[in-house]
Amino acid sequence: MIRIVIGSEPRLVCVLRTVARHCSQQAGFPQPEAEHIALAIGEAAANIIGHTYRGDLHALLALEVRRFPDRLEFVMQDWGPKVREDQIRPRSLDELRPGGLGTLFINSFMDACRYDPDCREGNRLKLVKFLSRKDACCNEGPGSASR
Amino acid sequence: MKVQVRHLDNIAVIDCTGDVDLYSSPRLREALLAEIKTDGPSVLVDMANVSYIDSSGIATLVEGLLLSRKTKTSFGLYGLRSNARSVLELARLHQVFVIFGTEAEALEGIGSVAPFEGV
Repeated sequence: MIRIVIGSEPRLVCVLRTVARHCSQQAGFPQPEAEHIALAIGEAAANIIGHTYRGDLHALLALEVRRFPDRLEFVMQDWGPKVREDQIRPRSLDELRPGGLGTLFINSFMDACRYDPDCREGNRLKLVKFLSRKDACCNEGPGSASR
Repeated sequence: MKVQVRHLDNIAVIDCTGDVDLYSSPRLREALLAEIKTDGPSVLVDMANVSYIDSSGIATLVEGLLLSRKTKTSFGLYGLRSNARSVLELARLHQVFVIFGTEAEALEGIGSVAPFEGV
């Protein structure tokens, strides 16, 4: 398991992306998928900074990465106000306007995305990406056990 | 990310290098808003060296596109890498932007791109 905590500054989001990309590559995801996973993690972090913390640069957010034989789990933790999941909706792609695409990218590139309802303080968003059977087979070996 | 602007005849080329994300996209936005203006040059964004673009970068390009329509400026992108192309396609924006393959194609073709009238 990897856990990394950063300040809620936009310039630091690239650190989380780099971790996500690296872990994805190590888990056996092909390069394009590793890029998509990194993008989803970056979008989740950007949402926390922009929406939950409303641009406050002095808060914290954490990323945990857990590797299983068939999947990677990413947990984004923040300590901001509770997010109301029912208010998060991807916008219609029929309207041409800036913004609102982050949720679309997260939902498109990850297999599951869910807030932890039992999180007492702040929010914990779990994002899961499953390895395809082919990628999982290629990655079997001593280092591929669940951590 | 680095943003540099070149002026070639009546075309402004905005060269972007690196990651276009929440942190860096305001620099691209500043360059776009400075170049896209009524009676200004055609504007091209060189994305050949953009290694990563997220929703804030895409939002910046959409803002540029909308401004280009308002100011009747010809506006296009070129040199998109596969990751940038895939997010544009996912958002169905590849049908909205004028996208060229290479700089040569973009410089030759942007003159014939009619600015969209009305937003």
